[in-house]
Amino acid sequence: MATNEEIQQDLEKREYDAGFITDIESDTLPPGLNEDTIRHISAKKDEPQWLLDWRLEAYRHWLTMEEPTWAAVDYTPTDYQSISYYSAPKSSDDGPDSLDEVDPKLLETYEKLGIPLREQEFLAGVKNIAVDAVFDSVSVATTFKGKLQDAGVIFCPISEAVHEYPELVKQYLGTVVPQGDNFFAALNSAVFTDGSFVYIPKGVRCPMELSTYFRINALNTGQFERTLIIADEGSHVSYLEGCTAPMRDENQLHAAVVELVILDDAEIKYATVQNWYPGDENGVGGIYNFVTKRAECRGVRSKVSWTQVETGSAITWKYPSCVLIGDNSVGKFFSVAVTTNCQQADTGTKMIHLGKNTKSTIISKGISAGRAQQSYRGLVRMGKGAENARNFTQCDSLLLGDKCGAHTFPYVEVKNATATLEHEATTSKIGEDQLFYCQQRGLSEEDAVNMIVNGFCKDVFDELPMEFAVEANRLMEVSLEGSVG
Amino acid sequence: MSVLTQTRQDALNLFEKLGLPTQRDEDWKYTDASRLKDLLEPTPVDENIHIKDMGITGLDAYRMVFINGLFAEAESNLPEGVSILSLAELEKNSVGDDAEGIAKLFTVDTQAPLINGFNAYNAAKASDGAVIILADHAILTKPLYILHISNQSNVIRHSFMIGQHAQAEIIEHFISTGDNKALSNSCSFVALKAEAHLEHSRIQQEGDKQSHVARVQVKQCKKSSYTFHGVELGAALSRTDLVVNLHGEGASCDLNGLFVLGGRQHADHHTRIDHKAPHCTSRELYRTVLDGRSHGVFNGKVLVHEGAIKTDSNMSNGNILLSKNAEIDTKPELEIYNDDVKCAHGATIGQLDDKQLFYLRSRGISAEAAQELLTFAFADEVLVAMRNQTVRSYVEKAAFAKLPHSDDLEEMLGS
Repeated sequence: MATNEEIQQDLEKREYDAGFITDIESDTLPPGLNEDTIRHISAKKDEPQWLLDWRLEAYRHWLTMEEPTWAAVDYTPTDYQSISYYSAPKSSDDGPDSLDEVDPKLLETYEKLGIPLREQEFLAGVKNIAVDAVFDSVSVATTFKGKLQDAGVIFCPISEAVHEYPELVKQYLGTVVPQGDNFFAALNSAVFTDGSFVYIPKGVRCPMELSTYFRINALNTGQFERTLIIADEGSHVSYLEGCTAPMRDENQLHAAVVELVILDDAEIKYATVQNWYPGDENGVGGIYNFVTKRAECRGVRSKVSWTQVETGSAITWKYPSCVLIGDNSVGKFFSVAVTTNCQQADTGTKMIHLGKNTKSTIISKGISAGRAQQSYRGLVRMGKGAENARNFTQCDSLLLGDKCGAHTFPYVEVKNATATLEHEATTSKIGEDQLFYCQQRGLSEEDAVNMIVNGFCKDVFDELPMEFAVEANRLMEVSLEGSVG
Repeated sequence: MSVLTQTRQDALNLFEKLGLPTQRDEDWKYTDASRLKDLLEPTPVDENIHIKDMGITGLDAYRMVFINGLFAEAESNLPEGVSILSLAELEKNSVGDDAEGIAKLFTVDTQAPLINGFNAYNAAKASDGAVIILADHAILTKPLYILHISNQSNVIRHSFMIGQHAQAEIIEHFISTGDNKALSNSCSFVALKAEAHLEHSRIQQEGDKQSHVARVQVKQCKKSSYTFHGVELGAALSRTDLVVNLHGEGASCDLNGLFVLGGRQHADHHTRIDHKAPHCTSRELYRTVLDGRSHGVFNGKVLVHEGAIKTDSNMSNGNILLSKNAEIDTKPELEIYNDDVKCAHGATIGQLDDKQLFYLRSRGISAEAAQELLTFAFADEVLVAMRNQTVRSYVEKAAFAKLPHSDDLEEMLGS
């Protein structure tokens, strides 16, 4: 069918429109990883002894571990000794007080990405979005701090939280994703440079949506972000994470850890738009995205939702999980993943039901084109104590082109007779009858395909916060751009 | 050394190399095979087996009986003009050109999916089995009923070759009478030529001391059709690998499975369907009902290869846990390397439909009986596809007996 072929070609040629490199001198550590590297990172950040010990413990554990090979992805293994583990834009040494002091080149970068910080400040009253922009490893600008402080919300780089709220960090860091959880989490625990820390006090509804933009900039710098969000009793927060990375030819490693702690009656909504550089048409370059994301619903009636739009990265290895410990807690996972050219994605979720009356929903939509390979790998486990637990899972894949692949590996383990679970999955290409129907009503082939793809993803896009839905739609448009013009 | 001896020696070497699977192997994650290690070799027992009135009585069929893995000719009744032989007999008389062909029956294809130590051991040690060769256009007028009775460990290896346009129905039935722990290791190889049709039932009803490891490997040529009914009622531990290769254009397979387990029973079915040619269809329906401390495992994998366009595949897996100590682990997998496909799978775990329960109760049926009736109906849905009514009602009765049921329900169903 012509349309599919065209889209396929367009997808293959689709250029990475955020690909540019900002020229800023980096204060970069020479490549290599040993205990001294970790001591150096820790010293640079003036960390307390307990955190250094914690890092070293993680590092020693990491040395005993092997890189996992079970995922359905194929890539050149990373040489962990050839990566530089610390890089900070030099101009941040003084720590800017306001946006005016921020390196203009940095601001330019954000503007190219369509996130003008100045404008955002100006529009503060309208859009209500605080951006804790992470440029490489050090946070350079944090806006709206004042307003958040009034509400009692703590939103700051984790390196700052270590100094200012050590008891909170100490209490929660590594309790959801332990140091030795998996190979990449252990590596992250040893060398993480920065990330966000959020604490929402009891009964507080965060007055605005929190947002962090991550960018990878300096050459050869792996990014090891660490995010920790704690929603205390009865609180509510919506957190947005978006990523783009400049174009380059070397594979870069990104091994982030995100930990969410949700107490009684609290709720966290976590949304991600991921658009790291995916490599070129032949699969040269691109980011390795090996992320560990996990949420623990520790309290009764606590809620968490993961929403992700994944269009970038050469290799994605990512399973945002929910551990539903508290009775009546709820976990949700909504995902759209697009892989084109030679991209490979192995992604999905884990829902671990431990408490009574716990509920989970999984909606996963995969679109695979070109020579891309995409897998949904999920686990739903109902423990012995998960009385009346409920799960609904739907994972659908859309295939564009006869060289691509879409795979589904859902694990279901149920140990409780009162638990109810439904799982359904479909894989197909765009139906000729659907195309015909749209065309018959006067739509061009391209518009018809766009419409069908949009409809396919709608269940997930509906879950995105308004501000983010725009970005997600833009990304999808870019992905399918050629088919409309 | 003859080709045959060499082949079997190779299989033994392979077994030594592979060893038995462990729970570290992804395909054996939920099933612990280590306790079967000491049961591979038979420990002879003196007890005699009386086969009178065993198996499905009243079935109008040709019969082959295997006692502890050896063909019992006297108990059997074979059709004229169709090549149905005992593997042991064939092996004894293998000479010249035949030898090579027979050696092939003992070859382990290490490239095939889900190959493990048990399969290699089977090829090395199989004592006997049925070799059925149905010529082109031949139609087996009556079903072939293969009854296996054992009271000790046994290794059996069948081959069913169905010629072009030929049709047959084969029923494999496994019963054990021993009080000692033992293992049945069974392999069945099925080859269907163009437009051949086979309906293949496997009813595993062994005693609670017996364990059962099986492999059913099917290769289908153009437009052939294969229907499988796997029924797991017996054994302490049972594992079946069902591997179907849709090799020829337009081939279709229909796989049905039913587990009714209780006590500490453990049953595991791994199915694997390879769509290698265009226009093939696969259907899969598995149902499990688990009581007591039983544990059910279902892993269904459909792999659509490049070039297998117009593939149509559908898998459905339903599970009901009747007790709080039962466990089900299910994994319906799809692996697709092609865009022109229509694949779907669904799995459910959970309770009976409240509306259906209400419907029955509003008609004066007790809550207990309504629940039992719906559970029975849930299981029976798999058996609907069974064309042989004698076999179906036998299995229904056996399954019903294992399900919790009150006198009310028995009366209602007239059984």
